[in-house]
Amino acid sequence: MSATVITITSGKGGVGKTTTTANLSAALAACGKKVVAIDADIGLRNLDVVMGLENRIVYDLVNVVEGTCRLRQAMIKDKRVDELYLIPAAQSRDKSAVKPEDMIAVVDQLRDEFDFVIIDSPAGIEQGFKNAVAPADRVLIVTTPEVSAVRDADRIIGLIEAEEKGPADLIVNRLRLDMVKRGDMLTTDDVIDILAINLIGIVPDDEKIIVSTNQGRPLVMENGSMAGQAFRNIGLRLMGQNVPFMSFEQPDSFMKRLSKFLMG
Amino acid sequence: MTDRIAIKGTSNGLIITMGSGDWQGLVEELGIQLGSKASFFKGGRVALRVGARQLTPAQLAAVGETLNSHNVSLWAVESEDASTRQAAALLSLETDIGPAKSHITPPRVARSNADSIVTRRTLRSGQIFRHSGHVVIIGDVNPGAEIQAGGDVIVWGKLRGSVHAGVKTGSEAIVCALHLSPMQLRIGDVITLPPPDDAQRDVIPEIASVQNGQIVAEPWRG
Repeated sequence: MSATVITITSGKGGVGKTTTTANLSAALAACGKKVVAIDADIGLRNLDVVMGLENRIVYDLVNVVEGTCRLRQAMIKDKRVDELYLIPAAQSRDKSAVKPEDMIAVVDQLRDEFDFVIIDSPAGIEQGFKNAVAPADRVLIVTTPEVSAVRDADRIIGLIEAEEKGPADLIVNRLRLDMVKRGDMLTTDDVIDILAINLIGIVPDDEKIIVSTNQGRPLVMENGSMAGQAFRNIGLRLMGQNVPFMSFEQPDSFMKRLSKFLMG
Repeated sequence: MTDRIAIKGTSNGLIITMGSGDWQGLVEELGIQLGSKASFFKGGRVALRVGARQLTPAQLAAVGETLNSHNVSLWAVESEDASTRQAAALLSLETDIGPAKSHITPPRVARSNADSIVTRRTLRSGQIFRHSGHVVIIGDVNPGAEIQAGGDVIVWGKLRGSVHAGVKTGSEAIVCALHLSPMQLRIGDVITLPPPDDAQRDVIPEIASVQNGQIVAEPWRG
């Protein structure tokens, strides 16, 4: 087995890197893949919180790098899914505690055993970003349909091309269909027009994400949400399947159909 | 050892000529040479001559870091290889070491034989493309990206970043693009902020030039 190493990054903060990492990891694991998620956001760890594994942390990534524990000891198994593991970030250190070579060395130890290694990158373009991208085979860029997020995503794509890690794939997160319809939000096409990279997923804005994040239970673990389905689809695409993009038209409710009928 | 790396002082700063052989080895050797004469090099600026060698932006950036670690700054990379020149331009390095600074009146660049650079890629936010001659981009220039050209700028794609053309040739330079919608446009000393893109407007190739001291964009109809 040789793992595919995927780094999730964005440039701008708060666009949903950690939520994406948690959900994609869980989605791939639910499809029977062996997955390990690594939180590379040292000093501001929160992938463990979103995955609901915070209370089980004993050792972290910095301990592994410094050799105070074995890699195995820092891997937390998610008991809700088969074969999903987390390597958490350190809370008390900063990004300079880990170097790109360290990340490559840690990931190389995981390659033989896993199908996917998913790395959650910190925001920004400094050391933490470089650490997260160094071992990557593929890079997924998360952006929201906002001018500032798209601008940062563009900058990141340029940096990744310079590192010869490309071509990156794009996830447009938190798309609000009502706003797009009113013309108040950038559409996916607007984003692609600027970034001109392969689109691998569109995730609609969904209140359920906030609830699931707070509960530490990735949304893909439940059925019946559009965002969860969108993340599952991205997982399938990462596994090489050709999944058509969802149409986000909600089926009209009974009342709406009735009123349409009555109003002509 | 010295035949592999030649270091020469000119009025334009130090010029280091890299010889043949394994690039990684040369860079390490350069580091050692710089380290052994640290006080001589300290604070200097350096131009690299790499001959016909083909180098990637990552390789050039690595040399830049080696030099920086010895308090020397890299400002130019001269090469006969087009992709190396592109890599240098992408890192905002000069590609032409040029005549010594003592040239008080540089000869006017004739439009026909000025050094041009053609690059087939999209310039992304934060990337600055700098070249002393004409610049041709086959691809887009995204918002937040910047081109600084000694002469003309031609973009076969959407131009939405900032452009400064005619850094050397002045207001005679032109800027043209399939979709001319720059954030800021400078030709020589004239500067303009084009009106925001009008979605209704048809996208047609345009050519911008200085007329009566103002930048004017005109549709291109062959």
